[in-house]
Amino acid sequence: MTAINVNVNEISKSFGTVQAVNGVSFDVQQGEIFGLLGPNGAGKTTSIRIILDIFKPDSGSVSVLGGPMTEQKKNKIGYLPEERGLYQEIQLERCLVYLATLKGLEETNARQRVGEYLERFDLGQWRKKKVKELSKGMQQKAQLITTLVHQPEIVIIDEPFSALDPVNTQMVKDLLCEERDRGTAIIMCTHQMHQVEELADRIALIDKGQTVLFGALDGIRRRYASDAVVVRSLQELPASLPGVREIIKQNNHSLLKFEPGKTAQDILQMLVQKNISLEQFEIAMPTLDEIFIQVVQSAGDSK
Amino acid sequence: MKKFWLIFANEYKRHVLKKSFIFGVLSMPFFLILLIGVSLLSVWLQFNKAPVGYVDPNHLLVDAEQVPEKGSWLFPVAPAVPFDDEASAKTALENDSIQSYFILSDDYLSTGKATMVKNSKTGTNASSDFGDFLVYNLVSDYPNSVVTRLSEGNNLIVRSLEGSRETGEDNWMGILLPVVAGIMFMITVNISGNYLLQAVVEEKENRTMEILVTSVSPTELMAGKVVGNMLVGLTQMVVWIIFVIVALKVAPSFFPDMQFPPIETSYLLLMAATLIPSFVMVAAAMGAIGATATESREAQQIAGWFTIPIMIPFWFISAIMLKPNGALSVGMSLFPLTAPIALPLRAVFTDIPTWQIAMTLAILCALAVFSLWLSGRIFRLGMLRYGKRVRLREAFQRSK
Repeated sequence: MTAINVNVNEISKSFGTVQAVNGVSFDVQQGEIFGLLGPNGAGKTTSIRIILDIFKPDSGSVSVLGGPMTEQKKNKIGYLPEERGLYQEIQLERCLVYLATLKGLEETNARQRVGEYLERFDLGQWRKKKVKELSKGMQQKAQLITTLVHQPEIVIIDEPFSALDPVNTQMVKDLLCEERDRGTAIIMCTHQMHQVEELADRIALIDKGQTVLFGALDGIRRRYASDAVVVRSLQELPASLPGVREIIKQNNHSLLKFEPGKTAQDILQMLVQKNISLEQFEIAMPTLDEIFIQVVQSAGDSK
Repeated sequence: MKKFWLIFANEYKRHVLKKSFIFGVLSMPFFLILLIGVSLLSVWLQFNKAPVGYVDPNHLLVDAEQVPEKGSWLFPVAPAVPFDDEASAKTALENDSIQSYFILSDDYLSTGKATMVKNSKTGTNASSDFGDFLVYNLVSDYPNSVVTRLSEGNNLIVRSLEGSRETGEDNWMGILLPVVAGIMFMITVNISGNYLLQAVVEEKENRTMEILVTSVSPTELMAGKVVGNMLVGLTQMVVWIIFVIVALKVAPSFFPDMQFPPIETSYLLLMAATLIPSFVMVAAAMGAIGATATESREAQQIAGWFTIPIMIPFWFISAIMLKPNGALSVGMSLFPLTAPIALPLRAVFTDIPTWQIAMTLAILCALAVFSLWLSGRIFRLGMLRYGKRVRLREAFQRSK
């Protein structure tokens, strides 16, 4: 059985009259990338700060690595906050080594690991430069080093791909997958849904301080799958087909929305019977973007 | 606890190793050296070590001896050379073998009247050196005490009724010390406080705060910062004190007359006991201000209101000197922000009742502890607030 590294149980938190989080629950397992999603102001950052013990919840509880947060456990957590920041006036290497020692690494060890990461992130030649001399993308990479250098058991990253070019984005993705394979529990907050689709094993969607969606990504997509199939054929499809209420032509394929009571299997049989040669036939799964919008809008409508 | 030391060392090193800090610490001594050097140079340029001639028609100075050297190689005593008549003295002056000459009047002993003849090369020391020569030789037959009395003039000593404290005209050090210490205290407290204030605001401004508070406890973080930045100020103060001590040791070799009277140990202890808790109190308060503010500019504006009261006793220094036990003086020595300067200043001119010293020190120590506690509390509340200040009321209301 996979160990649960973070367990968030019905946490609530309000600031004055504003209810920031209201009964949020989810858990994050060892060796998984967990997507924490939600529109702006949904309560994601507050939830993370409660997990990190920056804020105390008004009610509910959080278990980190099998119990409440302690000062020792802080050394086992890597955090990349949404508000990025490093000491601007000191040299990059010194800044990273200092922050690594605050995570419990001995200075010699910290210096060695920081050196390795700097080379890997292609920042080796900048190590003696002041942080303020680095570009935004370089500072973003430097901050990722701070998050990962002490080999944490839990990594919490907020918008990890912002300010990164495609090459560095891929490098960070590879790094996150490596961390996952190492057994690290990764909580990833992002608005970039395609990144979540690519990386996350499970997700939780928070809206207006509440968990509105939680589970394995595949299961959720299936749950929100519409009655449609994606078809790509070598020949032109007829204008109408039995059992199909609408045919939407897209770039190089068509979306066939079927009538109530019909299944994908029925449509496939019909196409075979009509001798339509197929190159592609698959159930049209909604993108995470579509699910996100659908859930958030329906939550808004129900209020 | 280990992380406290890491933060402490980081805070200390990042300021002390900065070029601007080293420049700031050394600039004061260098500036003083430069000032003294320029003053010495201007005196030296007007100084002339060539002999001074004199004509003594009434033979008052028979077998006259030269005034012994006081040990200043920079300003040696100009020797006095006798001449039989004014004509020979004038010739010597024209030949530059003397810098000036004096003609003692016939009734010199009763009137002290003498005529000085000089030219553009005559130094400013000619009159005083010849005056010393006259005094030294005319009273040479008198006992040493009389000679000293005549040569050094009055020394008025003001003593308290109980006789436990006194101050004399030659004890200028006793008055100067609290003034100099007060100025140094103000500068140090401002430097430390500003570093602390910046250190707290900076991490909010550059957004490193969230990383820090997920690595260390707010208490360790604040304690490391307060102690580290206070030590930065103390380092500066110690360097300056060392410089002053060295200067006091070195000065007599240039100015033999400049002898420094000893300072009572009890007085130094009183100063230390007053200044240290005041320092902690103000520095921690600065930290608290930094934690409440969201921008360093805003924090500095608030901090100004804290530092101005410290210098108020200087504005009322004459009132403290004239009435050291007056209501104003006592009030300022009890009020925490004015006490660090007012109490040591009063101590120079009066015997302060023990209860007043005890009360002032108790208030300062209590406020130092309170300031530390409050700054830690405000820091925890305000560490992640951007754009919204923490109100003092919140620090007392919130329990977490």
